[in-house]
Amino acid sequence: MRLRVEGIKKQFENKEVLKGASFTFEQGKIYGLIGRNGAGKTTFFNCLNEDILVDEGSYVLEDNGVTRPLQAEDLGYVLSTPVVPEFLTAREFLKFFLDINKNRLKDTKSIDEYLEFMKIKEEDRDKLLKDYSHGMKNKVQMLVNFIANPMVLLLDEPLTSFDVIVADEMKRLLREMKNDHIIIFSTHIMELALDLCDEIVILNEGILTEIPKQNLDNTQYKDRIINALKGEENDSDI
Amino acid sequence: MIQTFKTSYQLKNTYRTNGIIYSLKSIPLIKKLLPADLYASKGLQTFALVVSSIYEAISVFVGKFLYLLLMIYLPLSFMQKLESANFIHIVLVLTVLGGMFHADPLSSSKDKYYAIILMRMNAKKYTISNYIYFLIKLVVGFLPFIFLFGKQCGIDMVLCLLVLVFIIEVKLSFGGYHLFNRLRENRLKGTKLVVASSIIGLCLLVAAYLSVYLGYVLPIGCLYLLCALGVFTSVIGIRYMCGYSRYREAYKALFFEEGLMQTNVQSTGKITQKNMQNKIQLSADQTSSKEGYGYFNELFMKRHSRLLTKSAIRYTVCILIVFVAAVITILVSADMKKKINESMFVVLPTFLFVMYFVNRGKVITEAMFMNCDHSMLTYRFYRQPSVILRLFITRLKMVIRINLIPASVIAVGLPILLFLSGGTDHVLNYFLLFGTIIAMSVFFSVHNMVLYYLLQPYNINIEMKNPTYTIINSITYFICYLASGKEIPTVVFGTLVIVFCVVYVIVAMVLAYRLAPKTFRLRQ
Repeated sequence: MRLRVEGIKKQFENKEVLKGASFTFEQGKIYGLIGRNGAGKTTFFNCLNEDILVDEGSYVLEDNGVTRPLQAEDLGYVLSTPVVPEFLTAREFLKFFLDINKNRLKDTKSIDEYLEFMKIKEEDRDKLLKDYSHGMKNKVQMLVNFIANPMVLLLDEPLTSFDVIVADEMKRLLREMKNDHIIIFSTHIMELALDLCDEIVILNEGILTEIPKQNLDNTQYKDRIINALKGEENDSDI
Repeated sequence: MIQTFKTSYQLKNTYRTNGIIYSLKSIPLIKKLLPADLYASKGLQTFALVVSSIYEAISVFVGKFLYLLLMIYLPLSFMQKLESANFIHIVLVLTVLGGMFHADPLSSSKDKYYAIILMRMNAKKYTISNYIYFLIKLVVGFLPFIFLFGKQCGIDMVLCLLVLVFIIEVKLSFGGYHLFNRLRENRLKGTKLVVASSIIGLCLLVAAYLSVYLGYVLPIGCLYLLCALGVFTSVIGIRYMCGYSRYREAYKALFFEEGLMQTNVQSTGKITQKNMQNKIQLSADQTSSKEGYGYFNELFMKRHSRLLTKSAIRYTVCILIVFVAAVITILVSADMKKKINESMFVVLPTFLFVMYFVNRGKVITEAMFMNCDHSMLTYRFYRQPSVILRLFITRLKMVIRINLIPASVIAVGLPILLFLSGGTDHVLNYFLLFGTIIAMSVFFSVHNMVLYYLLQPYNINIEMKNPTYTIINSITYFICYLASGKEIPTVVFGTLVIVFCVVYVIVAMVLAYRLAPKTFRLRQ
């Protein structure tokens, strides 16, 4: 399965944020999306999630040469600021989520198993989500996205609010999941991207470009990424 | 000092003009006419600057004029006591009142927060220069109208000037006092402050007006005495303000109190949202046997019952009390019985206004957004057209049901009152009274929900309301307001309202079905 993004353009008033971004993301890989502040990473994710409509371009799923539009259930999106329904408890939100997806989901576990898996403590499970900390909300948001098991998973700076233990768990989990999914992961932390991601894609000047690692060591690769972000990429330098 | 003032004034102006431009930009149609780089456009900046200067100039005069007119001149002429001593008495007492509530050199606003905290301007210079500006505006604004209204009461120019001097003295003296009070540990706060200031305020108002009414006013000589005393207190006030060294600290404390301090980049919208979220109640008995969206919605209802059902019930109880009182009046007084009977044939327009206020639709949609949709709309499954429409219908039914609780009491109560007060030959009137109230209640419920779904009043940061939504809401309010007190025969008004409501509801539902899947999303 592949996610084919073709010529996406998005303009806000006079500012062209995406200028025909094209890329093909493949199943089985974690893509690190890197871009400078304001480069349009979140806009790109919002476009795929249809939070905002694109001005031009398309994005489709391609399976053995057959393409189909990206449906709601194909896509999971974990936002950098976690959003969860504040008036429900974690247990209730999960129940609701499992209810509405019960025809689609196979092999579901019990609510407590899920919460256990996310290391949400017993005593917190019946608290209102409005009283959860940033990191805890993020866990819940991440969890429902895992349960929904969408083909494409967009993660916008997700690991930064987790403590080191949970962050490590998440990384392990993402690596386990990647074979059946297309995971796109945006981050500002280079080390995290290099550690977790199989491919680095940069978003610069509204265009998506892959930065191949080839046979560079980590330091050389980092330099290459930074040069590319500065708009000074020159292969002959390396 | 002058430089600081200039910067602070420019900042306030920029904040205001950008606010004007932002609102202009949010109105459809007008939005299209304006260029994208609006904020940088020289012409528009000048235009907004002119608008903002005119606003400033008007605010200097209009407030003072209205104050003297409404608080002093009109009450005196109503009491037929337009005399110099009375005029001076009220001015003196109200000035002290004003000193207590409107002389604080520190006050919080967004532009002050930007200036003092973010731009790190010198807080002392900022405050003092702005306080001087405040006093200059006070003198300029008061001067013509003190003469104008003073002359009406037979006060000569010297006394008028002296009144103005007293006003300034009070501001200066209280200015110092407020500053002294600001950072004190044991000063009154919160409810205690509200209670204490209400009591003092009330006493002073009584002292101002009741004593004039009863004829016990301060002799004019008091003004001389108080002015002389004011010289000392204002010198103390000025010295305190000039010597005060904790302006910055005091501002920080004030911004914290007012929720403006952004420790975690929190916008005021976020604070509103937090307040709304604090209204969610959790208790063990709040369960639901339903599934999926039914479960979701039922829990929403139960967790917000204080805001929704309980408040509707409170209204209902109040209405019942009024109803019982009306019934007793009918039974006791034959005169009132006749009047009530007559009013039943013309009273419906006023009930449009009553129904507007009784309707909880706006609060409900606010809670829906802040505590539910704001987060849920980021999930794509929640934005599926089928989900949006299903939830819209479930919610609409819920809103209609809640609003029908008080409405049905009114709808049943009015025909009963008509019957008890002597009845009518035309049976249709009973049904019209009942039907119109029910129609109005359903209308407002649908109106609020459809507007919420079609116009989405808040943006993603819960900041600025959608101006189209505000405009439509103001129009709704205005129409209801205009209708109140109008005496239109029940037969005419009732029939028109019922027909209108039915047509409106059908059109609104069709629109919602067609458009809501597209419009019900987070505005960026």
